[in-house]
Amino acid sequence: MLPTLIRRELLDNLMTFRFAAALFIMLLLVVANTAVLIKDYERRLADYNTAVKKHQQKLQERDIYSPGFAGVVLVRPPNPLSIFNVGLDKRLGSEIGIRPSGAPTLWEARMHGSANPLLNLLSSIALGFIFEVVLSLMALIFAYDALAGERERGTLRLVLTNAISRGHILLAKYISAMTCLLVPLIISLLFALILLTNSAAISLSADDFLRIGGIVLASIAYLSVFYLIGFLISAITHRTSTALMLAMFVWGFLVLVYPNMILATIKTSDVPQERAVSALNQMKQIWEQFDRERNRFLAADAFPGEDQLFNIKEPWGFGYDEYYENALTLFAEYDRQLNFQGIDEKYQPNVPHLQNYHRFLIPLTIRTADRVWLIRKEALVDTLVRQANFKRTLLKLSPAGIYDAATQAWTGTDLSGIRDFFDAARQYRKTVMTWFDDKDAFAAREWFLSDKREADWSTLPLFSFERRSVEINAKRALPDVLLLLMTSLVLFMGIFLLFVRSEV
Amino acid sequence: MVWHIAKRELYEHLNSLRFGLTTLLLLALMLTNAVVYLREHPKRVQKYHDAVTNARNALTAQADNLYVLAQKGPGAFYKKPSPLQFCAEGGEAFIPDVVNTNSWQWRTDALKSFWRLSYPSITPNLGNIRPDVTKVDWGFIVGYVLSLIALLFTFDAIAGERESGTLRLMLANAVPRHAVLLGKFLGAFLSILIPFSIAVLMNLLVLSTSRSVHLTAGEWERLGIIFLIALLYTSIFLALGLLVSARVQRSAVSLVILLLAWVTFVVFMPSTLASIAGGFSAPMSTAELRERRSQLREALEEPFEERYGRRFLSEKQTEVSPKMQAQGDYVMKDAQQQERLNQERLTEQIAQVQGARNVTRISPVAIVQHLIEAFAGTGFERHLQFLENVHAHARQFREFVIEEDRRDSESLHVIGVPTGMSQKRVEPGAIPRFEDTLSLRRDFNTAAMELLVLVLFFIVLMSGAYLAFVRVEIG
Repeated sequence: MLPTLIRRELLDNLMTFRFAAALFIMLLLVVANTAVLIKDYERRLADYNTAVKKHQQKLQERDIYSPGFAGVVLVRPPNPLSIFNVGLDKRLGSEIGIRPSGAPTLWEARMHGSANPLLNLLSSIALGFIFEVVLSLMALIFAYDALAGERERGTLRLVLTNAISRGHILLAKYISAMTCLLVPLIISLLFALILLTNSAAISLSADDFLRIGGIVLASIAYLSVFYLIGFLISAITHRTSTALMLAMFVWGFLVLVYPNMILATIKTSDVPQERAVSALNQMKQIWEQFDRERNRFLAADAFPGEDQLFNIKEPWGFGYDEYYENALTLFAEYDRQLNFQGIDEKYQPNVPHLQNYHRFLIPLTIRTADRVWLIRKEALVDTLVRQANFKRTLLKLSPAGIYDAATQAWTGTDLSGIRDFFDAARQYRKTVMTWFDDKDAFAAREWFLSDKREADWSTLPLFSFERRSVEINAKRALPDVLLLLMTSLVLFMGIFLLFVRSEV
Repeated sequence: MVWHIAKRELYEHLNSLRFGLTTLLLLALMLTNAVVYLREHPKRVQKYHDAVTNARNALTAQADNLYVLAQKGPGAFYKKPSPLQFCAEGGEAFIPDVVNTNSWQWRTDALKSFWRLSYPSITPNLGNIRPDVTKVDWGFIVGYVLSLIALLFTFDAIAGERESGTLRLMLANAVPRHAVLLGKFLGAFLSILIPFSIAVLMNLLVLSTSRSVHLTAGEWERLGIIFLIALLYTSIFLALGLLVSARVQRSAVSLVILLLAWVTFVVFMPSTLASIAGGFSAPMSTAELRERRSQLREALEEPFEERYGRRFLSEKQTEVSPKMQAQGDYVMKDAQQQERLNQERLTEQIAQVQGARNVTRISPVAIVQHLIEAFAGTGFERHLQFLENVHAHARQFREFVIEEDRRDSESLHVIGVPTGMSQKRVEPGAIPRFEDTLSLRRDFNTAAMELLVLVLFFIVLMSGAYLAFVRVEIG
């Protein structure tokens, strides 16, 4: 009996104007936007390549080792799947320098140059957003008259006079409508994939296809939730016009209004004060200890006086040693920058002392920075990250928010995905520091002074960033997808209970 | 007659579910808007005042020496936040609110480079990891929510009556069809006007109870204009709803068509078209900029070094020598060339955005958002106005320096060289003050075209609806 019912419903749905309209609009929007998004991605890739080249060139030209305004700079590549959901990929910093005095985090990252930053004014719409808006609307349009319409026309009574269980009727309606809704989704996605694979700039790996599969899964779950919301409305109302009105307002509220309103009403305090202050104090204490240790060293060494620059005055270049703090991003570092092209002859005897000092100081800086990072990491998670995640959780009260989070997790443009890059950057910092250490670069003259010998960067290990494997994406995305499926299930049960008890 | 039908329609709407939901939704949005604005605007104003004061203090500190003042320049220029920012947020996160002036030391020598305007290209607040959403401003409420509501009020205006058979009854009386159409339009218009006005009034009431917000007469005028624009925009969507409703037999089909049209024109069209149009022209890339910058500098340096050698004069001069003159020219020309280059790049960038924005005028929502931005004094047009103010002030400042130098009889009047210029103290109060201003007249000039397009949209759709309705057969 069930197959017959499904076939009836399917034919009913497929032959409608709304199905044709849904297919047409999805194709139009997805194809047009994919072309735009590919172009946008190519632009960003070009910007990325320019930045990488610039930094490589600058590094080769750099004749001292110590990192300052220039040095080893890592650039975050654009994510090709950002076409599906751009997430934070475009918005967060995309280049970060490697320093001994601190672990790189996204809060210190800068944005590499782009030809026209004003273009960000014109928001581009990712494919996930099209699905989010259009599919949910389509689902409601397919659902609002599913029961109310039959009740109005009286066909519901006719159907129920046969020996058919009510559950089967619901299931048949659900399955057939979902099939109909999937057709535009799948076809438009196929077109998008054809465009994507034809683009020279984008090369999708097998993992990427799995991720896209994950996005499809999330889309189906999302579709199902909205269909069932419409279905529920249809079950509780007696007239289609009421059902339609209610459905439209529910849609407007969940997709358009709620996400924007909830974030605006929730007050954003900058960093919970106490936690941040205590962490900053802890970090400051560690740096003070560092300062005491180095002063002890300076007092004990052979050179008279405790001057950080060993009395070298007016070098051709610059040198300073200062403590910086930023309470907003919990940043605390001793920044020591020396970059001398040459110094006066009479200071030459001081140079070996300075070298000797660096042999002690830089490893100490690195160790201290590592300890500071342990504190900062915790504090950042407790303050900034938790606050942001709380907002994301609030967004998840709307299915649109859950869907958005799920697709971001699949594409790897969510906060965790971006933080992966900075994890890799921190790993690479260790590599670079070990490389310095192996070369004995800290104690070298060319750590800060380039008059006799110049730094040799040729053997520096290269940095490459690989996105985390698809399992990690799945681990991050599946809770949200499951949440959508659970919501579907609950909605379906609710509809079933209502429908079984309802009088015709 | 028209009024009679309109009244009937209005009563019908007032009793309906959609009226109640509309009122609730608009009220919630408008109150959110007011609360958020009251929370954020004082911070914005404070930040602006602090920045301006700091810049002024830095400038006063340089006033001890005319040369230093002329070399370091007028400091940073800050954009004044508009008090009407609750109407249109205007892409605040993507448009810089400052123009910098910078200069640097060339060699460790006696000559310093002079200031030039530079346009920061940063996206502010890179550390913001919070999810981003559209700001709930009037532009959003009108552009997205109100247009959707307008469609929901009209999609069944004619198709629904046809379905229920009442259309035939009504037309059996001696009622001209245009009266029916107009009555329906007015009825729907009034039943949106009521909740919208209530919501706007509540919004303004909340705003005016706060002490931190003072709106001047000019600003109330602007608010009035924005309100009228919102109504015009709503009318467009009402007319569209009537048009489709008259053409289509069933109200369900009418709604599907309208919703899809809405999604295409309101949600997707503006950004998609803008992205396509943005691809047409490519402004100077950062690599190219760096390249040209160093080219210019080399072209300037070579002839100078050939004639005068690598070193600049540093000792005190008592009379103008050709070398000194050449040095002054060198410094001024460098500043001029580099600034022109910066400006060229900025112009290209602006042209690209401008082109993209022109293309989006196909979509009424883009027009209405531009218009609200223009009258609220935020967004892109406002940024252009700010840049114009900055350029005017930069010219004024340069003239001021020359004027001051001319007044000093001991000076050799070679601008750009420390020993060739007056090193006297300047009265800090005499230094021109940068005043960022907004003028409504200019706004109206740019806006008039867009207003006309909106009116055109309305006329076309309304006459379309009339023609469609006149030809309708009632079978």
